[in-house]
Amino acid sequence: MSAYSMHNQDKTCWNCPAIDLAGMVDFRACGQSLQISKARSDDSDTYILARCKRNPGLGVYDPTTITFAECPEWIERPYGYLLRDMRVMILGIDGYLGWTLALWLGNLGIKVSGIDNYNRRNWVKERGAHTVVPISRMSERLHAATSVLGIDINFREIDIMDRARLAEFIDEVKPEAIVHYAECPSAPYSMIDAEHAILVQENNVLGTLGLLFIMRDLVPETSLIKLGTMGEYGTPLTGRPIFEGIFPADAILKWDNREWSLGGELTPRDPVSFYHVSKVQDTFNVYESCKYWWLRSYDVMQGVIYGIHTDQVAADERLRTRFDIDEWFGTVINRFVAQAVIGFPLSIYGAGEQLRGFIALEDAMQCMVRLIASPPDPGQYGVVNQMSGYCSIRSLAETVAEIGSQEFGLTVRIQRVENPRVEADIHPFEPIYDNLPKEFAFQPKVSPEMEIYRMFELLTQPSIKQRIEEKKHLILPRTWWSGQKKPVETLEVIDEVEYAPRAKVYLS
Amino acid sequence: MIFIKNRKRRLVIIGVDGVPYRLIRDLSQTGIMPHTASLIKQGILRQMASSIPEVSSVAWSSIITGKNPAEHGIFGFTDLAPATYRLSFPNFSDLKAPPFWYHDPKRRSVIINVPSTYPAESLNGVLISGFVALDIERATYPKTLIPRLMDMDYRIDVDSQKAHSSLDLFLKHLDQTLKARIKAYRYLWENIDWDTFMVVFTETDRLSHFLWDAYEDPSHKYHQAFLRHFSQIDEAIGEIKSRTNEDDSIILLSDHGFERTEKNVYISSYLKNEGFLKLKKPSSGNYSDIDHHTRAFALDPARIYIHLKGKYPRGSVEKEDRDKVICDLEALFSSIEIQGKKVIKRIYRKEEIFFGPLSPYAPDLVLLPHQGFDLKAGLKAKEPYGKDIFTGKHTQHDAFLLVSDHSDDDIMPNNPSVFDIAHIIGRLCNGNTTPND
Ligand SMILES: NC(=O)c1ccc[n+]([C@@H]2O[C@H](COP(=O)([O-])OP(=O)(O)OC[C@H]3O[C@@H](n4cnc5c(N)ncnc54)[C@H](O)[C@@H]3O)[C@@H](O)[C@H]2O)c1
Ligand SMILES: [Zn+2]
Repeated sequence: MSAYSMHNQDKTCWNCPAIDLAGMVDFRACGQSLQISKARSDDSDTYILARCKRNPGLGVYDPTTITFAECPEWIERPYGYLLRDMRVMILGIDGYLGWTLALWLGNLGIKVSGIDNYNRRNWVKERGAHTVVPISRMSERLHAATSVLGIDINFREIDIMDRARLAEFIDEVKPEAIVHYAECPSAPYSMIDAEHAILVQENNVLGTLGLLFIMRDLVPETSLIKLGTMGEYGTPLTGRPIFEGIFPADAILKWDNREWSLGGELTPRDPVSFYHVSKVQDTFNVYESCKYWWLRSYDVMQGVIYGIHTDQVAADERLRTRFDIDEWFGTVINRFVAQAVIGFPLSIYGAGEQLRGFIALEDAMQCMVRLIASPPDPGQYGVVNQMSGYCSIRSLAETVAEIGSQEFGLTVRIQRVENPRVEADIHPFEPIYDNLPKEFAFQPKVSPEMEIYRMFELLTQPSIKQRIEEKKHLILPRTWWSGQKKPVETLEVIDEVEYAPRAKVYLS
Repeated sequence: MIFIKNRKRRLVIIGVDGVPYRLIRDLSQTGIMPHTASLIKQGILRQMASSIPEVSSVAWSSIITGKNPAEHGIFGFTDLAPATYRLSFPNFSDLKAPPFWYHDPKRRSVIINVPSTYPAESLNGVLISGFVALDIERATYPKTLIPRLMDMDYRIDVDSQKAHSSLDLFLKHLDQTLKARIKAYRYLWENIDWDTFMVVFTETDRLSHFLWDAYEDPSHKYHQAFLRHFSQIDEAIGEIKSRTNEDDSIILLSDHGFERTEKNVYISSYLKNEGFLKLKKPSSGNYSDIDHHTRAFALDPARIYIHLKGKYPRGSVEKEDRDKVICDLEALFSSIEIQGKKVIKRIYRKEEIFFGPLSPYAPDLVLLPHQGFDLKAGLKAKEPYGKDIFTGKHTQHDAFLLVSDHSDDDIMPNNPSVFDIAHIIGRLCNGNTTPND
């Protein structure tokens, strides 16, 4: 056994994107079929015939009989076996996560390609906001990636909605995994008005739907790693566990003195904005295409990401990833730190008792590599809840306040403001997030305190602090789910922040 | 003394996959196959022994090369690649002995639908591969023929999955596949100046797997459909015969016989129960899960391999213990009974049936079943035996061979086997035997 945990060592060519599933034979009837049928029943004498695209010399063979550990194309890496020179395409590569992942993967020797149409830059500009950590133009980013890190990225400016050009690029690159980030990620942006709601749903839902057809036709063996969000589930008031997309085998529905197994069915979704609805719609579209066409996908129900650090983005100013703090595109912890830096009271919505799952930027990157390394079965729609822990918004604010005041000497106050959203601000929450640690050997490496500390370090730099100040007026929300447009009002200012007990963030 | 003519003699070989001697005799006598009947009158018909195991890949590879599996290298539809647990599907590129059409490069051959000839390789003539063939592009030589075949809606094989959803649909596809095959043979017959013409009809085998019960039972819903297919085959045979000249020789043959399936018997299940076979994940059914405690494992249909140390990555049986394991296996398999009936008729040791340089790759034992038992490796099977929708299975002893020619009449062996055919072909073509005999 190696020192690394090789979570994917027993996967076989059956899972490998470099396989060409050519047909099936049933030797009981000397029968062949060039149609692969999903009913690969366990007690039958039906065999799948496969050829390796990377090593045609292996001839035609049963793809379940070579494991990653045995295959010379899969090489031992820190997060499991990885395909040598694996080709990974990132859709939305210019974004907060996309850019960070591009460098992370490039650093592992993966051949990275990607598309973006700069939607995010334009949407932020349209709102009059900006990223407070300045980011370079794409051409400069690419140049810096090569010169500083030796990473060559094959980038093309393409709108995911332009199916012809996307298909052309995918056909050219023949990616072995596709990470799909290219959506509008903002709930408040989707709640501004009809135009914005429609734009978000069109962009997200139709963009993804078109992609699925392209994958069916060009790269059906490629795994799709698609970003969903924990917000798809909502927060059911019954307090029932929030499973990973699909009910476990022993879940049971009881009604009218009768019982049914729910095992294997999709769990209910209760999205909390039109943006979240777009993600739920994606879920169904991806789920169906796995069913109809044997595509293989992981739907990543991602918790809220926070942070600024990976070794690669920190290597040079031109390699930094974006960081937004406005009401539309800023995510909660990132916003709190920026507010603390300029002495703006940390604004929590309503009671602040909302419980959310979180994960640091670097840990999210680790998860993505592990998913890429261990592709799903053909036809499998897999779901992971991606978070490293969860806690209340209020306790997060307190952690930020504590680190800001104790480590950086800032005066940090917390305020409760009216909640512009329609959501329960006091609710039970029992998310299940076992798949990543159990199946993919994911272990969070970054503590919230550590990442928050690193964020303060960067955001307190005078030039960045200045950029936060410039957009201070965009911090408090004015986009109400009801449609009203007015600033939220303060309910309470909490001056006396209680710092103990310190570890309010429950790490798994 | 035999006079050897210098002029090339034309030879036509018609294969009908999986047609037993008994059936061809009976249907020609009852008038379902009149053309075949008149061919029988002209020539000599004999029961023929198939290969061991009696599967098409081994049988046809033996027919076209005249060699033992330990010489041509095809031991079954599946094999483990040397020193691995990779279950591979050997194909034409793995055939280690030349088929008869390479014996005399001056003769032009048309070879249609011989099983296990995929991917197609260049020859003096035309070749369209038979089952298992993954795409028409690599199943065709020369490639210029592909558009023609597409126009004919040519199919390598009937889609066997169809039969699982509807036998009617299966019969329809079977019919379409046969018609397209006939179109292809006609086209090549007329457009190529050939010396040897070989076409194999494999539909007969598929039909018999699904509907052997319909053949045996006149009241069966598909009895007439079964007979109709054979009369179509007979018409094709008649048509081919009517196109031959006086001087042409004709061989009509099958690769193995058929009989009714009573039970499928899963050998791995016995191996597991008796502790010969251990999988890392008992439910997986993958050869890559063979554990180092394994002493023996099976490949389809009934080939047993000793898990020798040094031969397999996790092999654990020492060379000196091989005989002991073999004896234990023989004791196990000669004793198994299902509902009071003995299952195994004969156990062949490798040394008895495999002769040639590739015998290290041959199975250590091959089992031959009693009537009605269909032996399967069945690594995934949960039960030792069962029954599924298939009603017919191969037999080893009951293939047939019919030779109709105008040369000397001692060309037909008394007890022919699939290994004699290439030799007969050689003699019919130019009075020579096959090279390097
Ligand atoms: N950041 C989080 O906390 C978080 C949490 C849960 C889920 N997610 C999801 O993760 C993904 C990435 O999030 P992010 O924070 O990096 O967002 P982001 O906006 O920074 O990245 C998305 C990228 O996709 C691009 N894009 C959008 N539409 C496009 C189109 N039509 N064609 C081409 N490119 C297009 C954008 O320009 C942007 O660069 C999104 O799908 C988001 O919903 C993010
Ligand atoms: Zn058969």
